[in-house]
Amino acid sequence: MRRRWTVPYLFLAPFMILFLLFYFASIVYAVYLSLFIQRGIRPKVFSGLANYVRVLHDSQFLGSLATIARFGAIQIPIMLVLALLLALYLDGLRNQRLRTYLSLGFFLPYAMPTVIAGLLWGYLYSKGLSPFNQLLAPFGASIDFLGRRGLLWSLGNIITWTWTGYNMVILYSALRGVPGELYEAARIDGASNLQVVRFIKLPMVAPALALATLFSIIGTLQIFAEPFVLASLTFVPTNLMPNLYIYYTAFNYGNFNYAAALAVVLALITFVLSLGMLALLNFQRRRL
Amino acid sequence: MGAGPNEYTKLLTALKAGTGAPDVVQIEYDFLPNFIDFGGLVDLSKYGAGAYKSDFVPWTWAQVSPDGKAIYAIPQDTGPFAMVYRADLYKKYGLSVPKTWAEFQANAEKLAQETNGSVQYTDFYSTYAPWFMGLVWADGGRLWTHSGNQWTQSLNSASAKKVIDYWGNLVDKKYAATLPDFTSDLNSALAKGQITTLIEAAWGPGSLASRLGTESAGEWRAAPLPQWDASAPFRSGNWGGSSSAVTVQSKHPQAATIFALWLNSSTTSVALNWVNGGLFPASETGLQLSGLHDPSKNPSKFFGGQDVAKVYADASAAVPTDFQWAPWFLYANNSFNKYAADAVSGKTGWSAALDAWQQDVLNYAKTQGYQVSAP
Repeated sequence: MRRRWTVPYLFLAPFMILFLLFYFASIVYAVYLSLFIQRGIRPKVFSGLANYVRVLHDSQFLGSLATIARFGAIQIPIMLVLALLLALYLDGLRNQRLRTYLSLGFFLPYAMPTVIAGLLWGYLYSKGLSPFNQLLAPFGASIDFLGRRGLLWSLGNIITWTWTGYNMVILYSALRGVPGELYEAARIDGASNLQVVRFIKLPMVAPALALATLFSIIGTLQIFAEPFVLASLTFVPTNLMPNLYIYYTAFNYGNFNYAAALAVVLALITFVLSLGMLALLNFQRRRL
Repeated sequence: MGAGPNEYTKLLTALKAGTGAPDVVQIEYDFLPNFIDFGGLVDLSKYGAGAYKSDFVPWTWAQVSPDGKAIYAIPQDTGPFAMVYRADLYKKYGLSVPKTWAEFQANAEKLAQETNGSVQYTDFYSTYAPWFMGLVWADGGRLWTHSGNQWTQSLNSASAKKVIDYWGNLVDKKYAATLPDFTSDLNSALAKGQITTLIEAAWGPGSLASRLGTESAGEWRAAPLPQWDASAPFRSGNWGGSSSAVTVQSKHPQAATIFALWLNSSTTSVALNWVNGGLFPASETGLQLSGLHDPSKNPSKFFGGQDVAKVYADASAAVPTDFQWAPWFLYANNSFNKYAADAVSGKTGWSAALDAWQQDVLNYAKTQGYQVSAP
C-alpha cells in the first residue's frame, strides 16, 4: 500500500523535473536579476524595484505593448475564423482520403521552422523579386510589403499562414468528438446543414475555440522570430514586439538586468490575461 | 570568433557569465567602446602593444586606443570609402566620373532625364547607420567627443546635416534608391544595371564580387570618394573594418596579444583575407603587399583588372584620425534606422529626422547613467 501514493509523482516526475529546471528556475533567476543594476561586468548593485519603475515609464516598451494589442485584435480573429471555416469544411467532407490529405496540407505550414518560413516570406515580400510584384509590374503597380505601412500586415500574414492549421487541428478534433446521435436527431427533426452548423457544431466547438483563443493570445505576446528574421531585409523597429525589445535590451545593449525586469512584466501580463480569459470561460460555463 | 551581430551576442553573454569567452575576439571599431565600457577587454599596452603603433595606418590606431594611452585591440581590417561604378553604364549614358558631390548630383540628374527614371544613379543605405556616419567622417565631422567621463554628442552637427540633406534630396528626387545593402533586391538591381554607382567601403568590392558572381563582372571600376570641396585636401571616411581584442577572461593575455599582433601583420594572412574575403588590411606593410594588387584575382578581376587596392589604400591614408564612437553606439545605430525610415517615407524631413535621432539617443545615454550633453 505504501507504494501507491508515490506512483502519480513518478509519472509526473519527467515533466516536473524539466519544468522546474528550465522554466521555473529561469523565472526565479530572472526575478532575481531584475532586482539589480549592473553596468557591464562591474559589481552589481541592489536596486529594489527601480528597474520595474523604469519599465512603467519606458515609452518604447509601452509602445510595443500597444502595437501587439492592436496586432492581436486584428490577427487573432482573422486566423481563428479561417481555422474554424477550414475545420468545418474538413468535418463535412465525405471523401476520407481527401480529408486526410487536406488536413495534413493545412497543418503543414506549422511544421516549417519559423526562421525558414520567415526567410521564404521575406523573399516573397521583396521589392523587386517578389512574384506578386512581378505579376503587378505590367500594370505599373508594386506593393511595398515591408514598408512602414505594410510591415505589420505582412507579419500578420506570416503568422496567420503558420498558425491557422494548428488551430484548425484543435477545432477539427473537437468537431470529430461530437457524438453522431446528435446529428441523427437533428436530421430527423428536419434541420438543414446550416442549422446543424449553427445549433450543434458551433456550440460543441465553443470550448475548443476558447482554448485556441487563449493559446493565440499567449503566442502573440511571444512573437519574436518572424520580425527578427525580417529585420535583415528591411527596417523593423527594435520595439515592434515586446520580445524583440527584450532581446535587443539584453543581447544588443548588454543590459541583462533591465531586460529581466521587462521579461518578468511581460510574463505577468501574459499570466493575468490567461487567468482573465479562463475566469471568463468558467463564468460562461456556469451560466450555460 | 568572427565579427557580426551573432558573435557580439555570444560574446556579451559569455562576458556576463564570467566564463566561455575566447582569448582573442574580432570586434568592429564602432563596437569597441561598447565592449571597453562593458569591462570586457584587456588593455594591451601592458603587454607591449604600444611598440607596434607605427606598423598600422594612423586612424586605425586612434580607433583601438581612443584616449591615446590604453590600447584595447590590434587593428585588423578597414573599410575606407571609395566610389564604385559601372563603367559600361557610364559610357552608355555619357556620364563622367565625378570628383565632387556637386558633379555626383549632376550625374544623377542627367541619368534621370536620360533614362526617364528607369535607371537610378545610386543607393542610400538607410538601414546602415555606420555608412552614413562614415560619410560624416569623410567630411571631417564628428559625432562623439569626450574628455574623461564627460561626453558630447552631436549627431545633428552641421556636418551631419549637410550629408543627410544632400542624400535626402537624392532620395526624394528618386535619384538614389533605398534598397538595403546585402539584400537580393539590391543584388538583382545591380546585376540588371538599374543602379550605376555605390559608395562602398574597401570590403565592398570583394563583397560585390562574391554576391554578383558573373553578373556584370569586369564592368565595375573604383574611383576616389567625391569631395565637398575639390580644392581642400582629399578626405575619406570609414565604414566597418575590425580589430582583434583580448578578453578579460584570457588566462594568457601576453600570448594572446602576440597572437593578435602576428595575425594582423603576417603577410600571408593579410593577402589571403583580401583575395578570399575582400578584407582590406589595417597594417602599413599589408597595404604594400603585391598579393593585394594582383589583377588576375578578385576583387581586382571583378573590376576589370583595375588595381582596386590602390584606390582604397589612398582612401585609407585620407581618413581623419579624430573620429570616435560612444559606448552607446549600438543604440544610436538601431535608433538611426527608425528616423531614417521616417524620412525615407516622407513622414518627417531629413534634417528633422537627425534632430529627433540626436534627442532620442541623448535621452537613452542619460538613462544609462552616462554624463553626456549636446554641444
